Amino acid sequence: MAFITLQDVTDVLMPILPIFILIVAALIAPAIGTKNGKAAGAFTMIAAILALIVTGYYLYDGYTDPFMNLFAFNDFTGLMAAMFLVVLFLVAMVSLSGSESRKHHGEYYSLLIAATIGMIMVSGAKDMIILFIGIELTSITSYALVAFKKNDPRSAESAVKYLIIGGISTALSLYGISLLYGLSGSTNIAVIADFLAQGSYSWTYIVGVITLIAGLGFKVAMVPFHSWAPDVYEGAPTPVTTFLAVGSKKMGFIAFFKIFLLMFILAQAFGGLPEMQWLFAIMAAVTMTFGNVIAISQTSIKRMLAYSSIAQAGYILIVLAVASEYALAGGIFHMIMHVFMKGGAFIVVAALAARGLGENISDYRGLSRRAPLVAVAMMLFMFSLAGIPPLGGFWSKFILFSSGIPDGTWIWLIALAVINSAISLYYYARVVKAMFVDKPLVTEKVKVPASFKVAIAICTIAVIFVGIYPMPIIELCEAAAAAFPL
Amino acid sequence: MDIPMLPLLLIVPLIGAIVTLFMKKDKKHSRYAAIIFSAVTLVITLYFIYDLWSADLVSSESYKWVDTSFLKIGFDVGVDGMSMLMIMLTSVLVLLVSVFTDSESDRPNSFFALILAMEVGLMGVYMAQDYFLFYIFWEVTLIPMFFLISGWGGPRRHYAAIKFFIYTHVASLVMLIGIFALVTEAAAGGALDFSFASVKAASAGFAPLFQTVMFGLLFFGFAVKMPLVPFHTWLPDAHVEAPTAGSVLLAAVMLKMGSYGIIRICLDVLPEGAKDWQNIMIVLAIVAILYGAYACIAQKDLKKMVAFSSISHMGMVLLGIATLSGEGIQFAIFMMFAHGLITSVLFMVCGIAGHNIGTREIPLLGGLAGKMPIFAAFMMFGFLASLGLPGLVGFPAEFGIIMSYFEYLQSIDLLWLVVFALMSLLLTAGYYLWAAQRTLFGRETEKVDLSKVHDVSRSEALALGVVCALIALFGLMPSIVMNMLANMPIILTGVV
Repeated sequence: MAFITLQDVTDVLMPILPIFILIVAALIAPAIGTKNGKAAGAFTMIAAILALIVTGYYLYDGYTDPFMNLFAFNDFTGLMAAMFLVVLFLVAMVSLSGSESRKHHGEYYSLLIAATIGMIMVSGAKDMIILFIGIELTSITSYALVAFKKNDPRSAESAVKYLIIGGISTALSLYGISLLYGLSGSTNIAVIADFLAQGSYSWTYIVGVITLIAGLGFKVAMVPFHSWAPDVYEGAPTPVTTFLAVGSKKMGFIAFFKIFLLMFILAQAFGGLPEMQWLFAIMAAVTMTFGNVIAISQTSIKRMLAYSSIAQAGYILIVLAVASEYALAGGIFHMIMHVFMKGGAFIVVAALAARGLGENISDYRGLSRRAPLVAVAMMLFMFSLAGIPPLGGFWSKFILFSSGIPDGTWIWLIALAVINSAISLYYYARVVKAMFVDKPLVTEKVKVPASFKVAIAICTIAVIFVGIYPMPIIELCEAAAAAFPL
Repeated sequence: MDIPMLPLLLIVPLIGAIVTLFMKKDKKHSRYAAIIFSAVTLVITLYFIYDLWSADLVSSESYKWVDTSFLKIGFDVGVDGMSMLMIMLTSVLVLLVSVFTDSESDRPNSFFALILAMEVGLMGVYMAQDYFLFYIFWEVTLIPMFFLISGWGGPRRHYAAIKFFIYTHVASLVMLIGIFALVTEAAAGGALDFSFASVKAASAGFAPLFQTVMFGLLFFGFAVKMPLVPFHTWLPDAHVEAPTAGSVLLAAVMLKMGSYGIIRICLDVLPEGAKDWQNIMIVLAIVAILYGAYACIAQKDLKKMVAFSSISHMGMVLLGIATLSGEGIQFAIFMMFAHGLITSVLFMVCGIAGHNIGTREIPLLGGLAGKMPIFAAFMMFGFLASLGLPGLVGFPAEFGIIMSYFEYLQSIDLLWLVVFALMSLLLTAGYYLWAAQRTLFGRETEKVDLSKVHDVSRSEALALGVVCALIALFGLMPSIVMNMLANMPIILTGVV
């Protein structure tokens, strides 16, 4: 009998339940937002928590199920979805105080939710089409989000820049995908990766792979496709910058992992693809060094954080060079910690900007006397980003870097990464010095809005807790890495 | 035992540091909080010693920290006699410096919080049984000391603090490379296991050349901390600028981390390396002893003189270690303990001189005994203890070390070399008595205004009195400490 029972419907919906919750929320949010912006923000936070609970339950339950060979929920998808939902929650929370715009709050939150849906789609994608749609969903909503401060010319300028560069990168990735489809005859990622893994290089193969790398490279701000990032990060409203830096960038990495890491893992059966791994190793080396060296000379804290994001992207690219399950676990761990430490740092910047503090490092002078707890939190984020024990960022870096040791080929890359970490300490410590050593120009206290306080507290607790007791999250990351090849 | 005793020794001062930081902002409250928390720590330490006495003071606890297919890092803590002695020294002195510092009015909350944070780091170093943990605590001690010097120090405090930080940090990075090499070699391609036990188990297979190189790397890291003579220049600067409490902890407990590391790590897992480096260690020790003592004679600043005497005495510790005999090492550890007690008296006295009289310049002082009799008594007691007067704790330690050195020289038929070690006794007595003569006795100085100078305060006298009592107690009954150490494997057999 061909009747569709309720059981069938729930069976189909089960794997995409978190996405389904978000879709409903994205549709309702604008309606709430017309009356009351704060209510829409609170509604978004509730939706994020609801989806997080479902995801958390799935993870706890060890639930795995594919959705029509297009999307699969497993430990990897679950952990990544949880990460994006935490990002959504934090960004929605810091947007509550509504310094951005009095109008269109509903749409703002709706766009945020839609972008998160795109990210989750990418983390669970089994098919190139889903992957591409996810990337596009996030990108297009991000263009609108960057432009949200309509009256600010800097915001408009960076939105245009982002739109044009984003458009080019989308075109490039789509071109690459279509070439790879032509070669392999399928849009299924596993089939494409398996075909690529056999390493029968042809011109179509090379052009397809290079354009795809370039297209995705724009998304993760990999050198030499990074030039948009500092401008956009500086111009966008700071909560949106947070969202871009810790959210959509991670999506780009997941897309990279989905195609290329899978390809490397499969290629081990055919004798590996050392040339391609070297390509990624060199890109990782260039990206981390470039980001760190340029970050040293920055005076704007947002630009400094943007360049440090580029450097962090270089660290995560180590995963593709080393291409082992352990490296992937380290990469996932580092991405998760990056949410809290870089996200926390951007939230601190947003919180202080909301109280009229400038965005230059010199504006932070003597902050330890004006807002002591915020200064301590910022110090922890900076030290965690630099990888100082015993903070969360130290462990994630340690595991990521140590994954390169057993295979002797990548010792040089790891050594370079360690040297880069040492360089990065210089510019992170400069912020700490400004806050704790330099004398303030004005001594009045800075009162940070409550929603920011809570968000900063969450990030601080995460950084400290993982620093002291990293094992649970390492186990989650290992499970996610083990579940990765679908 | 059911209660996790060892982590408790870390947790109590840590909670204390946080509580102190948030006390009401006046100088009394935070000091009382610091005293209470360090007293609790001391009580736990003493109970622990009492509890473990029958078990030869050996205890260990192990908690998994990071455990993946590739990395094994444990929160492994454990004690033996040597650790216990150092932990006891730490908890006694942290309590006493909190009692001693009764007039800190500049940001007292942060000051006492840093002292307690310092205690956490020191305790951690002395109980870590995992290379990773050891390194983390080693670095943790750096940060409070850096802030103590740069925040509460003398006029050139920023220079001194940065110099201190750079010297010791570079040394610990060299040590870190050594640690990684040791662990990687011990893992032999398997998972990196950072625990002391697993490296020790694999150490029998270390090639002699590897041992020699590694001994060099690790020894360098520890030598800067001790400090030995070519790497010592940070110490006088740091001491002169540091506040009294900082100086006491720096000299009495922190320098011991260096010699502790040599015994705990270098000698234990790299015995072949130790034999290769033995002659160099002896030369370095003799140089440190004589140079330190010689430099003392030339010093005008009382505190700088005490700092150089520390260098000389730490050279004595290394001389004991360098004999590589069980007896020599046992007396070296005893010397670490003795020097910890004696030097804290000396630095407290220097602090009182700087604080009450306003200057520590020896040429400006004179005839203090008449004006400040209690102060003079403590100072004289400290000087006599430091120059090794029989009956006080310094004597058995130095005597034992020189005796082991003598035995070692006898075994290699170069007895005349003992002259160098004996010369130090002469020099030490010389500079101390000369300094005492110029500052305490003779005519009352007219170069500084002594009319408003008052003698030591009650809490200063209490702190000094307790340390002096301990110096006399362990001087008369050194066997208490010697028995604590007697059953350590390295002391039973020496380095073989």
